[in-house]
Amino acid sequence: MGYIELDVLNNADPSLVMGIDLGTTNSLAATWRDGRPVVIRPEGASGSIPSVIRFPPDGKPVVGRKAREQAVADPSHTIFSIKRFMGRGLDDVRDDLADFPFPVSESADGLLQVDIHGRLITPQELSSMILMRVHDIACRTQGGAQIPRAVITVPAYFDDAQRQATRDAARLAGIEVMRIINEPTAASLAYGLDRTAEGGKIVVYDLGGGTLDVSILSLEKGVFRVLATAGDTRLGGDDLDRALVTLITNGLAEQLSTEDMADPGLQQAARLAAERCKIDLSAHPEAEISFIVPHRGIHFRRQVTREEFEELVSALIDKTLDSCRLALSDSGLEAREIDEVVLVGGSTRIPAVRARVEAFFGREPHTELNPDEVVALGAAVQAHILAGGSRDMLLLDVIPLSLGIETMGGSVSKVILRNSTIPCQATEGFTTYADNQTGVDFNVVQGERELAADCRSLGNFRLTGIPPMPAGMARVAVRFFVDADGLLRVTAREESTGHSADIEVHPKHGLCDADVDRMLEESLEFAREDYEAGMAANLGTELGTMLRACERNLEAARAELDPESLADLEEAMAAARSVADSGSLAALQAARDSLEVASMPLAAALMDDVARAALSGKKLDEV
Amino acid sequence: MVTPQPEGSPQPSDGNQSGCPYCEQRLETPFCCVSCGQLFRPAEEPTPFEAFGLPLNYGLDGEELDRRLLRFSRLVHPDFFATAPEEQRRIAEESTAALNGAFEILSDDARRADWVIGALGGPSAQEEKQLPREFLMEVLEWGERIEEARESPPGSETRAALDGLVSTLSRRRGQSLSQLNAALVPPPTERDPRLTEARHRLNAVHYLGRALAQLEALRLEQASSR
Repeated sequence: MGYIELDVLNNADPSLVMGIDLGTTNSLAATWRDGRPVVIRPEGASGSIPSVIRFPPDGKPVVGRKAREQAVADPSHTIFSIKRFMGRGLDDVRDDLADFPFPVSESADGLLQVDIHGRLITPQELSSMILMRVHDIACRTQGGAQIPRAVITVPAYFDDAQRQATRDAARLAGIEVMRIINEPTAASLAYGLDRTAEGGKIVVYDLGGGTLDVSILSLEKGVFRVLATAGDTRLGGDDLDRALVTLITNGLAEQLSTEDMADPGLQQAARLAAERCKIDLSAHPEAEISFIVPHRGIHFRRQVTREEFEELVSALIDKTLDSCRLALSDSGLEAREIDEVVLVGGSTRIPAVRARVEAFFGREPHTELNPDEVVALGAAVQAHILAGGSRDMLLLDVIPLSLGIETMGGSVSKVILRNSTIPCQATEGFTTYADNQTGVDFNVVQGERELAADCRSLGNFRLTGIPPMPAGMARVAVRFFVDADGLLRVTAREESTGHSADIEVHPKHGLCDADVDRMLEESLEFAREDYEAGMAANLGTELGTMLRACERNLEAARAELDPESLADLEEAMAAARSVADSGSLAALQAARDSLEVASMPLAAALMDDVARAALSGKKLDEV
Repeated sequence: MVTPQPEGSPQPSDGNQSGCPYCEQRLETPFCCVSCGQLFRPAEEPTPFEAFGLPLNYGLDGEELDRRLLRFSRLVHPDFFATAPEEQRRIAEESTAALNGAFEILSDDARRADWVIGALGGPSAQEEKQLPREFLMEVLEWGERIEEARESPPGSETRAALDGLVSTLSRRRGQSLSQLNAALVPPPTERDPRLTEARHRLNAVHYLGRALAQLEALRLEQASSR
């Protein structure tokens, strides 16, 4: 809005920022208030918003709790776990397509798109709808303040394409991304807040709805330094649910045909019932899976014991411990050297998960903070640091996967190794392999395997204009630069001639700037009504604040205003009062603008009067 | 030597290249002044050793390196410049990236050795691919054992016997690293034959590192198959 709120009178914080945990299952926003991070909760609600979107055939999309509630009745229009699709190609998500309600295809550029009632929508746009909802509710809960800036979290093990996709989703949601940070690192910030004076080695075990991260940090004099991170972006609570769903499908297989079994209503109901049962089993030794699918005449009931469930998921928990082993080995530490174990993510409520992690590290894990909220809280801490609110803490994070270039023969030359602290840069020399070769093609890859084909290709670029010379004579320096968000930029230069190619590697399965612009325009069309209603609500609040500030100060400064200014101001105030509750965007805007102009003499008088006190809504360049 | 160029201010006229132009304290790093907190943009990209204000020497105190990284990061990290003007933000991000890049080289024995051998005019990895002579027979034997284990199913005895090989290779890697250290400390003069010796020792370290990584991958496979 081009505004800096100068609200000395209201004592409001001019640098409101928030942290958003964009989760596979639920999303949540937190902010910094009175020296602490706090979850933003609408009155009487948990603040957590299901990452679920429902697209009814006719009508507006619904995001959040309502969408989730309607999922059983309308499974074929409801999208869950879209985070699993972020920055991925069709081949990567085949396993997830079985229970996905809409047709999914890949564009010529390798971009995933979901066909929703004939409109092609990318995972980035879908995630942006969730972000918009979370952000909107958070702003309203904060009294309608505009909070454009936010720190957004991603799983530590997200690769470059997944991070780019998340950043693009935030841009599409109209959020100014201060920083992308890793979920386990955020959690450690929230936990370490009171312990910065002490030190030690912390492991964060984060098992969320769809992803696993294990990060090992050292904390020393307020510096949180990630030593190593490991994980799996396709292992989480969803997979635990699926283990229970197999119990259901096995139980139903005898009485139902294959066609019945494939019914989306049945699948959705089974999945939600499995999830409920899993949650119940964390609190009780035994629980029931129970659901009804009326149109198929099914009423399924089955008792599950905790032992039975633990047996089913034991192999999955084993897999998470492999990531713990790898992270330990990369950090050069032994399990016994770990001082603190922090559990994050809803799946760590499962007693078997807790017990196995505790046994592995030989330490009782911390559970003081709500595992569903700790990531958002940590993101708010980082947002506070970035807003200039604290220099006592510093987060040094790492890149989770090595970055390299494919060389002749298909092997990978690693340029930046995994677990390098970011931001980071490295330059690697390459040469030509044929006489008079004037161009070099580069394939930029991310991953640990030795062959490029086994790693993920992030993109290709070509350096041309190399002068003809014998093979092996050209000296091509390729510079990798990973920024503080963990995003990669690559540039190449032929050093004997200085011929350079500064190329942003455009991620496969990612959006380019033009895509983002186009989508922004479309999304405004798509949700103009929502957008206008939100704007009007915000403007209404802002106008109210301005009015109150004017009313409060007018009496004291009345004598100092010339009659003309006074008349203008009173007129503008009256106009503002008359439209405050109108909900009309145009009227509110006009009233806000004229009140702003009319209140300037008052502001000037107050500035003279009460040193440096200013009015809300004052533009910075006029101060 | 790298000349610090403070942003938006003229070069100091006294020609004191290693002092801060603002507070005249000695500079520990070309990226910032630890005394007054001023950021600089070096005219040329500093070497990894220059970035940390350390002499070019393979022998290095790892804890001191850690301390310097944290001390410098506290001054130049982009998190502290998020609200600063674009230009300052960029300097902070690039300086920190350069420090972290240098740290990755200096903190890893093999990468630091590779850099030092190159800087002193020693042979590159492409020019000298040999392993120390006493390795040749052993390398063949180890290779066979790893290959055998890879082809046998997880959980088999051949795989279980790998633990012994892991400890042999780790021990040999440790030995090779101390031999590498002996070849590089005290620092060889330029084109010293010790540099070729160092390259051979480094090749051994690399070979053993790769073999151990393969064994680790097999071990993880083993663990998850249980």
